[in-house]
Formats: sequence, structure tokens, C-alpha cells
Amino acid sequence: MSQEPVASADANDLVITRSLRAPVSALWRAWTEPDLLKQWWCPKPWSTEVRAFDLRPGGAFHTFMQGPDGGTSDNPGCFLDIVPQARIVFTSMLTAGWRPNTPWLGFTADIAMSAQGAGSLYVARVMHPDAATRDRHEQLGFFDGWNTCITQLDEFALTLAPK
Amino acid sequence: MLGRGAQTVSVLAHPFDMALPSFMKHLAVLEHSGLIRTHKTGRARTCELLPARLSEAETWLAEQRAVWEARSDRMVEFVEHLHEEEQAHVAGTRRKR
Repeated sequence: MSQEPVASADANDLVITRSLRAPVSALWRAWTEPDLLKQWWCPKPWSTEVRAFDLRPGGAFHTFMQGPDGGTSDNPGCFLDIVPQARIVFTSMLTAGWRPNTPWLGFTADIAMSAQGAGSLYVARVMHPDAATRDRHEQLGFFDGWNTCITQLDEFALTLAPK
Repeated sequence: MLGRGAQTVSVLAHPFDMALPSFMKHLAVLEHSGLIRTHKTGRARTCELLPARLSEAETWLAEQRAVWEARSDRMVEFVEHLHEEEQAHVAGTRRKR
């Protein structure tokens, strides 16, 4: 990983790459079958509910995450582009039918998958709005939720730690 | 956890359902982002938080990276397991014929 946005047009882009032993078909299933997606979308002990999954441009993609302490994270959005077995683009900046949205966390994610040898290559580009928007989102307390989750793990670990 | 002071990697990794090498990768991301510092004492590697070194905006992006890196790791693990199961199923079907 580099801190330099080498392959990135914008300093607020994240580019995440993985090589998999599994083929594109398995990768595509994990992303496009809600029952599979919800199994890896968020870290345990949080759980994911897929409230809408309409896999076509303008179709709703809505996840709702719930933490062990009752904390929640509601993430409505919509798909922008779908290329079977190759690409999924979605955003939180619009909801179903391209309706404008003011999300607590603004981003567009461009997920690309391609064959690589016997396996596959996965590239996620996650684009974010400007810093001012990000700061506002931070104030809305997203990280409080995750930090609560980590605190709970911490407390659990302490109960397991040898005295 | 690090908010209470420096900890060894094994103590930090304990609550997570994750292999140590995977956990080390997450720590490397955090260290590269300047959120933590690690040093080796004998056989144990210790981590500590670097408070307020980054601006809020940089911290925000580093946190987003951590969220997506971890999500990608969970996805890879899930997909490879899914693929192994599919392969085992295909092999099983062939044997029955």
C-alpha cells in the first residue's frame, strides 16, 4: 500500500487490490447474492441486513448494520453500473431511481473483477467527496459506532485474559 | 485497547477471529497510515497509538481505508472458502456417477 495516490485521480480515493485463488464467478456470487454478501460485509459482532438489492443501474442497494450494543448504521444507496462478472458501481449519494440523497457517509465505489491465471483480480476504488463533507460526516458519529464495537471486543478479551 | 497504553500484538489480536498474519496486515495498514507505531522487544512486537499526529481529514480517510481493507480481507476469505466448497461439491457429484 502506498500513501501516494499513484493510481488515483484524487487524494480522497482509496484503491484496494486483492488477488484471489478463486475465479471471478465465485467473486461475482459473493457480491451479487445478498445472502452471501451479508456474511462478509461488516465485522463481527456487527451483522448486516440487506434491505434492498436491485442489481441494475438505478436499482436500490440498501444495507443496514447492527452492533451488539444496539448501535446501527443505515446505508441506503443505488447501483450505477453493472457489467456481469466484471464490474459493480454503486453510490450512497443517490438512492433508488437515481434520487438525490444526503448521506451521512458520501462515497461511490467502483468494484472491478477480472480473471488472473486460475484465479481472479479484485480492485475496489472508493471515491469520497471533499474534506468539508467528510468532517461533517465524522461529526455525525460514524466512528463512535465502530469504536463502541471495538470497546466491546476489548472488554470481552479482558474477561478471557489470564489473570 | 491501545488507548490504555502500549500492548503486544498477541494481546491485541486475541479478541479477533483472525489468523495472526492477517492481523499483522491490518496493523501494517494502521502503522503505514501513521495511526500506530510498533517496535520489537525480544520476540514480542509492541504497538502504541500515535495521538493526533494526523489531521482530522487524514484520519478520516485512514479509517475509511481500514474499513475497506478489512472488508476486502473478509470477502477474499469468504470467496475462497465458497470456491473450495463448490469444488468439493463438484468432485463429490463426479464420484457418485
